[in-house]
Amino acid sequence: MKLFKQYILLISALALFVACEDGNEETELKSRGSVAIEFDNMVGTSQVNLSDEGSSDYSYTTSGSQPFNLTRVQYYISNIILTGPEVSYEDELNVSANADEVTGYYFIQESDNATKLISLNRVPEGVYTQITFTLGIDESGVQEGAAGGILDPANGAPFWNWNAGYIGMTIEGRTSVLEENAFAIHVGGWKDVVPEDGSAQKFYNNVKTITLNLDVDMKVSETLEPEVHIVTDIQKILGEVDFTVTPQVHSPAVGRTFAENLTGAFVVGHVHQ
Amino acid sequence: MCISNLKKQLSYWGLLLFILSCSERDVEVEEAYSFQQPVHFPAATYTLDNNPVSKKGFLLGKKLFNDPILSRDGSVSCSSCHLQATAFADSRQHPLSIGVDNRKGVRNAPSLANLAFIKEFFWDGGVTHLDFTPLNAIEASFEMDEKVENVIGRLNANEEYQQLFRKAFGIEEVTTPYMLHALSQFMVMMVSDNSRYDQYLLGTGELTPDELHGLELFESKCGACHSGVLQSDFSYRNNGLDENPIDSGRTRITENRSDWGKFRVPSLRNIALTAPYMHDARFETLDEVLIHYREGIQYSETLDPLLEKSLGITMTDEEQEQIIQFLKTLTDRELISDSRFFTTQ
Repeated sequence: MKLFKQYILLISALALFVACEDGNEETELKSRGSVAIEFDNMVGTSQVNLSDEGSSDYSYTTSGSQPFNLTRVQYYISNIILTGPEVSYEDELNVSANADEVTGYYFIQESDNATKLISLNRVPEGVYTQITFTLGIDESGVQEGAAGGILDPANGAPFWNWNAGYIGMTIEGRTSVLEENAFAIHVGGWKDVVPEDGSAQKFYNNVKTITLNLDVDMKVSETLEPEVHIVTDIQKILGEVDFTVTPQVHSPAVGRTFAENLTGAFVVGHVHQ
Repeated sequence: MCISNLKKQLSYWGLLLFILSCSERDVEVEEAYSFQQPVHFPAATYTLDNNPVSKKGFLLGKKLFNDPILSRDGSVSCSSCHLQATAFADSRQHPLSIGVDNRKGVRNAPSLANLAFIKEFFWDGGVTHLDFTPLNAIEASFEMDEKVENVIGRLNANEEYQQLFRKAFGIEEVTTPYMLHALSQFMVMMVSDNSRYDQYLLGTGELTPDELHGLELFESKCGACHSGVLQSDFSYRNNGLDENPIDSGRTRITENRSDWGKFRVPSLRNIALTAPYMHDARFETLDEVLIHYREGIQYSETLDPLLEKSLGITMTDEEQEQIIQFLKTLTDRELISDSRFFTTQ
């Protein structure tokens, strides 16, 4: 019983201490607001409309005039950073087995509109002019081990078992130029290994960091909740693809060409103030 | 110490034990199921902060490890190919792993001892975190041939598992990361650090003159690759098994031709228990392995430079015998008789 009382004392002292800490933190910080980031998937100037598996309607054409459609478009966005002349915000990254504690990683799926809208809360009040994000899951996301939620393979997370890591960008569809029609482009790989003996590179880090200018002074405050529209152009990611040469891409080295295209495939469409 | 003094000591400890409260005894039990870093080993690489080992987590991991519920037709468990008696390698009867429908695998299932200390897994190092290793076994068509979502579905439909997951992790719904964490908790505890070689290193035991000589020979003739306390530099090398290696080995992971036929230099811990040897289980005895290094090295483009010179390692029959004497001191009887890993709970 005596021990119990001591515990109570200790816990209340701790609670007091923690409360003080919290208070200090709150007073130090500016007030915060929200920013919404919406991803619009396009093929050139056309909106992406997913086709049913097996469909032979080809709504799009590659730069090399190969007709194709899309059955799946999905990608990971992480490590979002907003910067301005005086303030900056870094979305907190956390990997956990507990799905509710996975933060800072987003899985954008064309098939699910809700996933295309990211809400950042607690963004410090101020003016922002730039957004930076990572396309894919980098080393820090992989090497923390098994994770839940959008990083759970049983939950649809695209994951390579044999060369462990997440697939950052998935583009699947059908094309008339292939007898079997189906093509799949999976861009993954999270480390660069350059041999010391000067031989060809082993492993390619296909995780890309993308920085975009907002082109406006985006104001964030408790009452202003701006929305950034980012356009993802699948046409640009496919680049010079020839489906008869690379109908299936499932490894870092082959996916590299497409990874290189990622950086130029995202633009800020507009910012709603 | 005289007898009466010893008795006094014993009664003192007895009294102390008696006084110890229930919760403190639980702490002791919990300690037997927590990860202990051996002082003479490299630091653990496993992310223990994300997944600290607990008794409930370990026991759940053990149940999963031994349960064929992970496989498509309920016929294969992890322990089908990783037996405690062989330091969690496959049995001699299964040179290559046998999966569902008696499908034959392509490589020899290696020992799982000391996985807590290494950075890359499998013969080709394709997986870089222990948590993700079971996904390969579950989803490979020639192993368990099952989708992980189906396994999770079965675990959620099983009341006993639901309860065990709730107790171990405080969760209401079983999800992949918790299943993988439970399996990792079980696997990281497979620490093999009490062989006669360890006792020699720690000054608590001795090796015979032949074994000591074998150790010296081993270090000079094999130690360039089989280095350190775990007898591996964990690099990938072609050790001259074939002129035209069939299995691409590390190339499958790096997509680089210069890695063709290379496999990880394995730790030699418990090597006397883990026959047959090599990724394809081609050698049945340690003598055959050493004769290969003496006389059997085959040249190919990716052959390791250390073996290229004079195509092998020179040693006399006596030296070969002494090296094997030393290798046998790497057997850890404690690991293979540790009741914490027994399948009956």
